[in-house]
Amino acid sequence: MNNTLLIIEDNEQNFYMMRFLLEKNDFKVIGAGNGRQGIEKALHHKPRAILLDIQLPEMDGYAVAEELKKHGELGNIPIIAVTSYAMVGDRERILAAGATGYIEKPIDPETFVAEIIQYLSKDPGDQGRQQ
Amino acid sequence: MTTNRNTSFRGCYFLNLPIILLSLLIVGTPATGADNQLITVGIYENAPKVFISESGKPAGIFIDIIEYIAKREGWHLQYVPGTWGEGLDRLEKKEIDLMPDVAYTADRETLFAFHKAPVLSSWFQVYARKGSGIKSILDLGGKRIAVLERSVQQQAFVRLADSFGLNTTLISLPNYQTVFERVARGEVDAAITNRFYGVMHAKKFGLEDTAVVFSPSDLFFAASKKDPKQLLTAIDHHLLDLKKDTQSIYYESLKRWTSEEVRFKFPVWLKALGLVMCAALLISLLGSVVLKYKVNARTRELLKINRVLSTLSECNQALVRSTDEAGLLDAICRIVVDIGGYHLAWVGFSETGTDETIHPVAQAGFEEGNLATVNTNWSHTDPGRSLTSNAFRTRQPCSARHILTDPDLELLRDEALRRGYSSALVLPLLAEGETIGVLGIYSVEPDAFDTEEVAQLTELSGNLAFGIVGHRTRDALKQAEVQRQEVQQRFADIVEFLPDATFVIDQDKKVIVWNHACEAMTGVKKDTLFGQGNYAYAEAFFGERRPILVDLLDMAVPEVEATYKYVKRQGDKIYGESFFPRFKDGQGAHLWGVASPLYDRDGQRCGAIETVRDVSEQKILEKTLRDSEQKYRELVMLANSIILRWSCDGHITFLNEFGQKFFGYTDTEILGRHVLGTIVPENEKSGRNLRPLIEEILSDPQKFERSINENMRSNGERVWIDWTNKVVLDAQGQMKEILSIGSDITDRKLADEQIRRLNDELRRHAQVLEQRVAERTAELVVAKDRAESADRIKSAFLATMSHELRTPLNSIIGFTGILLQGLAGPLNEEQQKQMSMVQGSSRHLLALINDVLDISKIEAGQLALSLTSFALRPSIEKMVKIVTPLAEKKRIALVLDIADDVATVTSDQLRLEQILLNLLNNAIKFTEKGYVRIFCRSDNNNYVLSVSDTGIGIQPEKISGLFQPFHQIDTGLSRKHEGTGLGLSICKKLLDMMGGTIGVESHWGQGSTFTVRFPK
Repeated sequence: MNNTLLIIEDNEQNFYMMRFLLEKNDFKVIGAGNGRQGIEKALHHKPRAILLDIQLPEMDGYAVAEELKKHGELGNIPIIAVTSYAMVGDRERILAAGATGYIEKPIDPETFVAEIIQYLSKDPGDQGRQQ
Repeated sequence: MTTNRNTSFRGCYFLNLPIILLSLLIVGTPATGADNQLITVGIYENAPKVFISESGKPAGIFIDIIEYIAKREGWHLQYVPGTWGEGLDRLEKKEIDLMPDVAYTADRETLFAFHKAPVLSSWFQVYARKGSGIKSILDLGGKRIAVLERSVQQQAFVRLADSFGLNTTLISLPNYQTVFERVARGEVDAAITNRFYGVMHAKKFGLEDTAVVFSPSDLFFAASKKDPKQLLTAIDHHLLDLKKDTQSIYYESLKRWTSEEVRFKFPVWLKALGLVMCAALLISLLGSVVLKYKVNARTRELLKINRVLSTLSECNQALVRSTDEAGLLDAICRIVVDIGGYHLAWVGFSETGTDETIHPVAQAGFEEGNLATVNTNWSHTDPGRSLTSNAFRTRQPCSARHILTDPDLELLRDEALRRGYSSALVLPLLAEGETIGVLGIYSVEPDAFDTEEVAQLTELSGNLAFGIVGHRTRDALKQAEVQRQEVQQRFADIVEFLPDATFVIDQDKKVIVWNHACEAMTGVKKDTLFGQGNYAYAEAFFGERRPILVDLLDMAVPEVEATYKYVKRQGDKIYGESFFPRFKDGQGAHLWGVASPLYDRDGQRCGAIETVRDVSEQKILEKTLRDSEQKYRELVMLANSIILRWSCDGHITFLNEFGQKFFGYTDTEILGRHVLGTIVPENEKSGRNLRPLIEEILSDPQKFERSINENMRSNGERVWIDWTNKVVLDAQGQMKEILSIGSDITDRKLADEQIRRLNDELRRHAQVLEQRVAERTAELVVAKDRAESADRIKSAFLATMSHELRTPLNSIIGFTGILLQGLAGPLNEEQQKQMSMVQGSSRHLLALINDVLDISKIEAGQLALSLTSFALRPSIEKMVKIVTPLAEKKRIALVLDIADDVATVTSDQLRLEQILLNLLNNAIKFTEKGYVRIFCRSDNNNYVLSVSDTGIGIQPEKISGLFQPFHQIDTGLSRKHEGTGLGLSICKKLLDMMGGTIGVESHWGQGSTFTVRFPK
């Protein structure tokens, strides 16, 4: 069972906190500090899901999500946006770009993992991976 | 003489005794049967036809006949004596039933009734004193002539005299006796009587007959109008029988009263009747007397003369009795042969104009059919060849004494031998100097016609000629009468046809024509008016008898004229008009009338005619027209517009009062003048030449229905007029005039100019203004750009700040949570306590950031409501459930009270829930004990939701600032009561956006109630 999660996050503290919480819950976590690296890792590792920050250097989260969707083999991997963008339209915009879920920062460490699992179970990509 | 006459009449009485007794018997016998009825008969003196005998009894031919008829019809006769005129009057008034001896005329037929077969025919003859020299009609010129009043001979003589162009004076007298007496006394020159009377009485008065015999007329019994007692049929019936039987009372009476036998039967009458006979035979008495002496001397001659006299007598009777010309001629020929004892007799007439032949028309003694060969050409001049032509040409009797022996008459001998005569006499028939024919008499004996006999027979031929002329005159008169009646009928038809009420009156102002239109107009029938005088016709119009229009022809009566609207005389006619209120069932009618006098042939007034026409409708029409015209005239005169008419060559023909005042001219000053130079100046002030304009308008006015140009007043002042032009066409469709209606627009023109000036100014101002606006706009655009840019910067700043603040908060909250969960290893009690404080502070910080973000979004207009329809009750329950743990922690009861009428709402669910949650959190936060009550209900189109608590309440002075941002009551307690102080402010702003309200009611220390109201 693939339980690798890719976290694309440029803030080291936030990445560490999320990795800590997820590894404590038996997920394997790989990380990427920018969008380009994130896409490469996704193509390479084919993770169970991708946790994507939006505010990224060089290539922002929207562009990353669109790029990921272009790769057919990655089409079924849920993208969960975890972002501190909370302005009007942010949520809609990120979902339109291809994200499956949206978790607002700051995260609640007590409910965070449960939310992630919830998105995984809803993941339409399960079928694709079982092939 | 008088004594003699009395004696003779007395004798007459005795000898007539049987007849008189008989009549008395009839008169005296009371009515015995149903047929017995009293018949009154008028009598007067007109012997021998009717008269009163010396014994006072009625006598005469008519009396004999009526007595005979009365006896057979069982009539009871009663005689009413009087004059002729009185008799007619009585008959007309129906006071008597019958009047004898009445000549038929058309006029009389309207008044009386006549039977069909005449009793007698009679001529009228003029009598004069012996030696007066009056022989023919022409001698009567300028003479005074006595005549029986109201007799037919009076009218007939007038016609006769007229036809000769004679001027005579007629004197009407009541009876024949007076007529003759006046002539005898020389008071008048001549008398007219019927020949019956004349023959009987002329000699007695020393009068002689003249050649003037005229107007044979049929004499009848006349009954009163319509013959109510049906007498005439019986009279006709008996007359017919009487006339057929030569032995009847009819012929007996005629003989008795008219022939010489009378004389012989009544010798006492001898002298008188001798006179009568002489006149009747138109032979002088003297001749007769001489003959009588000769008879004594020469018996043969006496017998012969007696025979001739008998012939004359019989002939005269035939003349009297004959009813037609052919019958007369036959009778005369027969008498000449039968009584005169001559062999042959014939009468021939020349037919002038065709050939010169004399055609036989009557004969006696010839064998049947032989006469046709007697045709004689009267142009033969040889006396031996034709007696007839000689007599005809020479107008003298021509005789052939010895045809059989006289060698000069050899040419006649064959004829004489063949017809068996020896001598012949041919007499011309002379009438008014012309030969109209011949009477031929032939005798078996040679030299049968001696001088005496020729004289007698000449007399006979004269009488015959009179008779013929008389018959012809009568026929002509009858014909004329028929024509006259036809003309009269035609005239009557024409008058009846006339659509206008028309009536005619005679000189006595009696109505003689009253046509149908007259009846229709007045409602008065003609029958009730005919013959009535004394202004009877006026009653039909005015309801009273008084002179009317037709009477004004002869006289001027101011008071009568005053009753007419006008009376106008033109030539001999008179016109008038008046209103008759009685007419048309009281509606009244305007009647227009014209009357004209009528003249007879001589130009003498004989009456008048009036025609009346109902002109009411015309009047109404005229009045309407007049009113309309008046209205129109007033309109034109008083209109507040200039009304101008000008001719095709530019001359003014009309300018109304307003126009005259406006331009400063009077009627006389302006009419007839050309428009140019008067009301139209040569040039407008602007320099535009108006002459071409006027010429153009005149050449084609249709194009200039509207023209605005400068005009000029008489004082030179210029005015502007807006003209509307219209062509006035004459009956032929040719342009007659131009009608122009103008309004003074000088003020408007000035105002227009003012407006134009102001507009220009305005335009200049506007340009300046526009420039300023543009400048200002540019400035504003810059400012706006700046503002927008600032806004964008602010939004970006907020977004960035929000993000930048959250990123570190994420780590703080996240790691605090991890530590508190013990995921990174167990914490001791103190660590646990402090980490909890870090967690509380970081969460507060997050709330603060969120609220600031909300406020910023709302104020920047970036917050949009997302409207959906959802059930309100579960939404409330969900929020209550969220705060339940907090309330339980503080031991505060939550009371939920949602009315049944709360159902769905269309709103932004998240924001509505945010508001409710905020209120619930506040209520629980500021309540230490007691309860928080949530109440929701529907109120018309809104829901009302309130949250009440039993908390600390709000001081009144603080309530006003409650919904301001960054406001928290009792800031000193801020640490005690967590909150950003932005919640209520956000609630108010959200409700404003939703169209709702929020309010608070609070008592310090007792609690507060926050109530929100939002649309369903």
